[in-house]
Amino acid sequence: MMLLKVLAFAGFREILGKERELEINEEATVKELLDELARLNPRFKEAAFDDSGELRDYVLLMINRKRIDPGQDLSRPLQEGDELAIFPPLAGG
Amino acid sequence: MIKITEEDISLDEMMKRARSKDTGATVTFLGTVRDDGMERIEVEAFREAAQAELEAIRVEAMSRFHLMAVEVVHRTGSLVVGESIVAIVCSAAHREEAFSGCRYIIEELKKRAPLWKKELGEKGERWVGRT
Repeated sequence: MMLLKVLAFAGFREILGKERELEINEEATVKELLDELARLNPRFKEAAFDDSGELRDYVLLMINRKRIDPGQDLSRPLQEGDELAIFPPLAGG
Repeated sequence: MIKITEEDISLDEMMKRARSKDTGATVTFLGTVRDDGMERIEVEAFREAAQAELEAIRVEAMSRFHLMAVEVVHRTGSLVVGESIVAIVCSAAHREEAFSGCRYIIEELKKRAPLWKKELGEKGERWVGRT
C-alpha cells in the first residue's frame, strides 16, 4: 500500500474536505484514486462522474502542483507521497 | 512582489515598489467586486500553486514586454461589492509595453492561476464558472 495526499478546492472542497490522506494499492493510477474517492463519497461520485462513469469535463486535476490532462493522464500510475488536487474551472481575477 | 493575501490591497505601496528612475510608464489594473445581485463573494486559492503560477506569469511578462517591475496582489476570503479582488502594477520605459504587459498578466492569471470565486446573496450561492 502507499499513502497519497488529496487536496480539493471550491465546490470539491465542500464535498471532500480540503485535505486528506488516502491509502491505496501500490502503482494505483489517477483513475483508480478517483474511483476510490467516488466509492467512499457518493456526493463526489455524482459531482465528478457522469452516468456512464466518465469524468465530467469540468473536473480539473493537478499532480504535485502540475496540471494533468484528464483526457490522457488518468492511466498514469501514482507514487508514494504524490499530491493530487481536484478542482473546478478557475475563476480568479 | 507576488502576494496572495486576506489583507486589503495598497496600490500606493505597489506603485512605490514599481517605480524607478528608468521607468517612463506605470500601468495599473484593479479588479473589484461588481454588483451582480449578490451581497459578497468568497475567494479561495490553492495558495502554493497560485503563487508559483503567478511567479511564472510575471517572469514571462517581464521578458516578453521588457517590463522593469511587476507587482501582483490577489486577495482571498470574504469580499463585499466594491472591494478590490486583484491589483496588477507594471512599469516599463514606455507605455505600450506597460499596457501590453498588464493586459497579458490579467488574462493569463484568469486562465492559469488556481483561484475560485463564490457568489453569495439572498438567492443562494454559486461558484463562478461552474456549469
